[in-house]
Amino acid sequence: METTTPLLNLNNVSKRFGGIHALKGIDFDVRRGEVHALVGENGAGKSTMMKILAGVIPDYEGEMRWQGRPVRLKNPRHALDLGIAMIHQELSVMPELTVAENIFLGRQPLRGGVVDWPRMFREAEAILAELGYEHVNVRDELERYPLGVHQLVEIARAITSGARLIIMDEPTSALSPMETQRLLELTRKLVEDGDKAVVYISHFLEEVTWVADRITVLRDGQKITTLDAKEADKQELVRLMLGKEAEFFEESFIGSRQVSDEHKNAAPVLVVRNLSKPRAFENVSFELRAGEILGLYGLIGSGHFELGEAIYGLVKPSSGSMELAGSPLRGSPRKAIDRGIAYVPPSRRTGLFLEKPIYQNVSLPWLAKISGFVPAVGREVKVADEVIHRVGVRPPDPLKEVVFLSGGNQQKVAIARWLVEPPKVFVVSEPTRGMDVGAKEEVMRILKEMSAAGVGVLLISSEPETILAAAERILVMAKGRIVEEFAEQSVTKEMLLAAAAGEMAAEPA
Amino acid sequence: MAQKPADTTQPPSKLRAFLAKSREYAPVWTLLALFLFFSVYSDSFLTWENMGNILNQVALLAIMGTGITFVLLTAQIDLSVSYMATFAGVVAAYYTAAHLPQPWPIVIALLAAAFLGWINGVGTAWLGIPSFMVTLAMSLIASGLSLYLTRGRILFDLPPLANTLGSGRIFGIKWLVIVAGLTLLLGHLVLKYTRFGRYVYMTGANPKAAELAGVNTKGVITIVMIIAAVTAGFAGVVGIGRLGSATPTAFDGMLIDAIGAVVLGGTSLFGGVGGIPQTIVGLLILGVLRNGLDQISVDIYMKTLITGIILLVALVFNILFAGKKEG
Repeated sequence: METTTPLLNLNNVSKRFGGIHALKGIDFDVRRGEVHALVGENGAGKSTMMKILAGVIPDYEGEMRWQGRPVRLKNPRHALDLGIAMIHQELSVMPELTVAENIFLGRQPLRGGVVDWPRMFREAEAILAELGYEHVNVRDELERYPLGVHQLVEIARAITSGARLIIMDEPTSALSPMETQRLLELTRKLVEDGDKAVVYISHFLEEVTWVADRITVLRDGQKITTLDAKEADKQELVRLMLGKEAEFFEESFIGSRQVSDEHKNAAPVLVVRNLSKPRAFENVSFELRAGEILGLYGLIGSGHFELGEAIYGLVKPSSGSMELAGSPLRGSPRKAIDRGIAYVPPSRRTGLFLEKPIYQNVSLPWLAKISGFVPAVGREVKVADEVIHRVGVRPPDPLKEVVFLSGGNQQKVAIARWLVEPPKVFVVSEPTRGMDVGAKEEVMRILKEMSAAGVGVLLISSEPETILAAAERILVMAKGRIVEEFAEQSVTKEMLLAAAAGEMAAEPA
Repeated sequence: MAQKPADTTQPPSKLRAFLAKSREYAPVWTLLALFLFFSVYSDSFLTWENMGNILNQVALLAIMGTGITFVLLTAQIDLSVSYMATFAGVVAAYYTAAHLPQPWPIVIALLAAAFLGWINGVGTAWLGIPSFMVTLAMSLIASGLSLYLTRGRILFDLPPLANTLGSGRIFGIKWLVIVAGLTLLLGHLVLKYTRFGRYVYMTGANPKAAELAGVNTKGVITIVMIIAAVTAGFAGVVGIGRLGSATPTAFDGMLIDAIGAVVLGGTSLFGGVGGIPQTIVGLLILGVLRNGLDQISVDIYMKTLITGIILLVALVFNILFAGKKEG
C-alpha cells in the first residue's frame, strides 16, 4: 500500500442549513500517522465538518475520499465499517458494565454462541497494555474509574473495531490536568505506527499545539489555513481564529460604562465563597455588587453555567457558601425567587413552556402573588402585557403561544418574566445565543436598564461578544476555576480567549 | 460544543397546525362516528334507556379516570388504581362488618387509599423511581392487602352510604351517574380554575421549566398521585354498593379501561395537554363501543379484541401527534 495517499481528503466540501452556510468549500486532508487538530470559535463549522467525516451528515456538496477512493458516507455505521470512528463528547459507555465489556460492546467474542469471557478479558488486557494503561483491571465495572478511563475505553473500542481514523471531539473538556496529560500522550501513541490518524478538536490551544502535527483553523465555515504545529504559537492561532474582527474588538473595552458612585460603593449583594461542586466548579469565590453587570466568561464545559445553576438553587454545591444581601443563601429555585434571585437558563427550551401562551410563561413564578387560590387570568394577562411591552416582545400579544415567536422574542419572554418583580440578583446565562444583531442589542439594553435600576446582573456566556458588550467587570473561568479577572481596563476578545484557553498548564497538577 | 447558532424556532407549517387541530378533535369525531354507526346498525342502541345504560356502565370508570387524568397531565402514570379501588372497597366493608360506626369505614377506606397514593408519589417524585414501577409494586401491595383482609372471602356487610350511591336512585336518576358527574366536574374545576391545576399542567408541559419558575414539581406529582388513589378508592367504595358485595378482586380488571378511556380522549401521555372534557369524550367512546358491540350481535368473543384494536389505534394517534418532543 502506497503511503503517499492521504488517509482521508475533503475536496471543496460545503454544507448549508437553510440559509446559513455552515461550511464553504473546505479542502482538508488527514495523513497516515498524524494528529490533525481542528480549531475555531463556536459556530466556526467544526461540528458540521466532524459530522460529515463521521457519516452523521450525509447530504453535503463536494467530495470525500477515503484512502484515495471517493466515498459518500451514508450513516455513522458506514463510517465505522470503513474505519472512521468518532469519540463523542458525551461518552457512549455503560458505566455498569465491566471495562472489557465496554471495549467489546456489541462485538463480544463468542464461542458456541455464548460470550467467550476469558478471551474477551485477555484481549481487553492486551489492548490496554498496548495503550499504557496496564493498571486498569478489565474485570472491574467501568464506573469505578475516573472519566479519563471512560475516554480510554472509547478509544480502545475504536481501535479494536479496526478504526484507522479516530475523531476526538473536545476529549479533555471534563478531564483533570493529570488525566489530560495522559490522554494527550495516548493520542500521540495511537499514531506512532504510522498507519492510523487522529482528528483532534479542542478549544484548548495549549493542548492542540502540544499534541498535533498539523493544525487547521476554521472561521465562519471556511478554512483559513492549515499550518505546521511546530510553527504555530497560541497568539497567532487566536488571531487566525478571530480574523479581522480582532482589530475591531481592540476597540471594545470594559469600564466604558460609568458606574454611578452609589453602585460602585454599594455593598455586595451576592457573595460567593469557596464554592465547589465536583466535575463542575472548584473553589469559586467572587462578589457581585448591586447595580453592576459582572461578566462570567468561559469556554463551554468550564463550569460557568453550573455555577449559575448553583446560585439559583438548582444544583447543590458540595462545599462553600453563598450570601444574599448579608444572609446565607441555599435551597431551591422557589426560595431563590422569594429572596430576589432571577435566573435565565442557557437554553430557551429548558426555561420556557413553548406550547403555552406568553402570559402563563410570565406569570408562573408569581402566580401566588398575582392571584389567590383561583388564578385571575385577567390580571395575569395584564401583568404579562405590561412586561412584554417593556422588553419589546413582538408581537406583543400575551395570549399567543411562545412557540410562534422567533428565538429572540422567546428569549425576551424568558427575561420579561423577571421584570414583574425586580430581583436583587439576575443570573442570566447565554442571553443572546443564536439571535440576530437587533435582538441582541435589545436584550443588552434590557440588562443595562435593570442594572441601572440597582439589580446586580451576573452575565454568564461563552460568547466573548456578549460579555464585552455589557459587562463592567469580567471573570474568566476555565476547567471549573476562576482564572482571571478583568476590571477597569480595556479587554479584547483575544484576551478573553487566551485567558480561557491557555490556562491548562497553570493549574497545579 | 459548537452549537449551531441557527434560530431554533421554525414557524409552524399549515400542515402542523392542521395536525394539531385534528389531534384535538379526532376523539370527538371518533365518538360521533361510533355513535352514528351503532344508531344505524342497531334498533336497540339509540334509546333513552340505553343511553342511561351507557352512562351507568362508565360511571365507575369516570370516577377513576378523573384521578388518572391528573396523573397523565403531569406525564406520570398510575397502574395501581384498579387495585386501589378493590382495596378501598374491601376496607369499607371490613370495618362495616366490624361494626365501626358509619361513616368511619368509608373515611378509613379513603384515608388508606390516600396513604398508598402518597407512597406512590414519594417513590416517584422524591426517590425517582419511574411511576409505572412504583405503582406496579403498589398494585401488588393493594391487592395483597385486599386478600389479607378478606382472607379470600366475599364481604356482604356494606356501608349504607355505599349502597345508596352505588345502586340507589334519586328522581329516577342513578346516584352513581350523578356522583360520577360531580367527580368529573370537581376535577375539571380544580384543573382549570385553581393555581394547583395550573401547576399540574405546567409540570407536565415542561418539568424542568416548571422547576425553574419555582414550582414545587415534586410536591405537585405527589399530590397528583394521592388524588388518583383517592378517586380510585372512592370508585371502589361506590362500586361495592353497585355490586352488592366486596370481593378481593372486585375491580382489578378495570385498570386498562380506566387508563384507556383517558388516553382515548386525547390527554397526552407526555403530559401538559388534555383535561377532563377530553376524558369525558374518551369515557363515552369506550362506553358506546362496549355497549354498541353488544347491541349489534357481534361475536362476543371478538369484543375484547375489537376494543383492544381501537385502543391501540388511539395510542398511535396520541403518540403521532403529541410525540413532537424531540430536540
